[in-house]
Amino acid sequence: MRLFRSCCIAAAAVLWVPSAVLVAQDVQPAPQHPTNGPPKPTGTTPRTPDGHPDLTGVWNGRGDSLTGVPNQLRNSGVIVDDEYSAHDIATGTKIAAFPRPTGRTYGTVATGGAEGERAATLLRRVGSNRPIYKPEYWDEVRRLDDNANEEDPSNRCMPAGVPRASIPQHITQTPNYFIFIYPGQGGLIATQTMYRMIPADGRKHTPLQDLDGSYNGEAIAHWEGDTLVVDTWGFNTNTWFDQVGGYFHSENMHTIERFHRDGNTLTWTVTVEDPDVLLQPWTSTPRVAVLNRDPRAMLPESLPCYERDLGMTVTKEHH
Amino acid sequence: MMSTKIRTLHIAAIAVASMFLCWSVAARAQGTSDPTNQLRVLRAAASALGMIRMSDIGVTNPPLPLVDVVTTMEISGSGVVYNNGQPMNATYTAAFAYIPPAMRVEIKGQGGGNAAHTIQTVREEYAWNESERGAGLVPGKGIATPAMASAKSRLLQLWILPYGVVKAAIAAGDKTTISTAQGSTVITFPLSGALAGITVTATLDANNFITKVATKPDNAAATDLVYEAEYSDYKDHGEILTDVKSPGRIVQKLAGKPLLDVKTTKVDANNPYLVFPVPPNVKAARAQAGSSR
Repeated sequence: MRLFRSCCIAAAAVLWVPSAVLVAQDVQPAPQHPTNGPPKPTGTTPRTPDGHPDLTGVWNGRGDSLTGVPNQLRNSGVIVDDEYSAHDIATGTKIAAFPRPTGRTYGTVATGGAEGERAATLLRRVGSNRPIYKPEYWDEVRRLDDNANEEDPSNRCMPAGVPRASIPQHITQTPNYFIFIYPGQGGLIATQTMYRMIPADGRKHTPLQDLDGSYNGEAIAHWEGDTLVVDTWGFNTNTWFDQVGGYFHSENMHTIERFHRDGNTLTWTVTVEDPDVLLQPWTSTPRVAVLNRDPRAMLPESLPCYERDLGMTVTKEHH
Repeated sequence: MMSTKIRTLHIAAIAVASMFLCWSVAARAQGTSDPTNQLRVLRAAASALGMIRMSDIGVTNPPLPLVDVVTTMEISGSGVVYNNGQPMNATYTAAFAYIPPAMRVEIKGQGGGNAAHTIQTVREEYAWNESERGAGLVPGKGIATPAMASAKSRLLQLWILPYGVVKAAIAAGDKTTISTAQGSTVITFPLSGALAGITVTATLDANNFITKVATKPDNAAATDLVYEAEYSDYKDHGEILTDVKSPGRIVQKLAGKPLLDVKTTKVDANNPYLVFPVPPNVKAARAQAGSSR
């Protein structure tokens, strides 16, 4: 009987050992269902007396904006589906994922160390949705991205400009114009406060040759159904058109932003046309902001921007 | 004195345990698709290469899993490249992407000359040769020559790189098997899509780095799809460090004959800006080939 029991125990042990090893190696799925997918809209979409969706509000709930808490993996175009799978938004291609090791912070930004910075740098560039430049500019884009600490205009307290500023944190809507406010942020995302006053009264653009190029360009809005379309041209060349990547542009850049409110969410995309440097127009990955439902919500005061010589203080991997 | 019944029970128990052990040993030798073991092995291989990182940048709740962060990369090296069996000292630059699958291999023979400079590009089902990087995309700038017959062979070079092996093995799901040969872990899986009908076998070393890769097409006559690769001396070769490990030496054979033997000189693993737009004349050539079938 002892032998029988021993054999059973041995067999059970052989069966049990692999799972014990797995537990020890932290490949058990996390109890939660992790995702960085866009927030689900809730509530109804309010409308103004003229019947258009009302975009008025403070859009700094948990969502995407340059100065809010950007969900950088999703901004780069990747959504985590669960512990074992993510996907590239632009192509639908599956990306492998593995359950998170418990009790370890390797690779997170939260570590604050070089490992975290290097992981963040990679994560911001995982998605496939990249603008297609003319071949003569491919090396320049790489050079700018590789040397972003020195080359990124936002590191020198320049305005983020359009369309890099992406979703405004506050919108005031009137029948004939909109006001967008983008509070600046100190620290590493060293952008200046921006505002835009955008007419929606049916006027036409000033001819491009009559405009002095500016950071925000000349914007004109109109409605296409329930989507607000903001058409802008007349830029200077002092900005990049996405948060990372070294995506420079010419003064002939033309942007078409689309804002669509669904309940408490505001989805923004931009199409960038720049035949001087791009082979074809590029459309961003959608970003979604959430309405701050607190009726007393205020915009925070912007922190001062200070210039730093990042080329002297950090290595290239820190961007 | 043991009763006959107890003795029979003992014999049965020994037989059951023996059968289990035999099955276990056989399974290890022949390969299994045990999902937990597969997960452990593939995760270890991905981790050794520095491919997977925690993804909750800008998101704190709930914590996100590890994700594969390798999308684009460029590996440069120098050594011997074989052109129609003839060895040539050359520099080798492989720029590649996995979303969508694409690769541009530029070889510059030492001594210069047009014949010693080739750029072979593939993106999904399109393959072409470039007279310069990005040739054929802008009128008057370079010549892109369709090379559709090479598409599978070029695409295969992408998937036999260490990162491609891990990605494809994960994508193959329960068709991927794990076995042990001569003390090393071996991953075996079938490719899919345009490369369906090709089986890949990869061997890991004790540090879970992929050291050998071999491909075997179902169609034995397709010798342009029979690759062998050896990778060694892994480390982070980047000027900008990424913690992504790359082989310091790459040796490849095609149909048993040497293809290249290069030492890595530079790696950009920081998901650099690498794009592979298909030139209009290459698209047209493929469409024409499709319509004439």
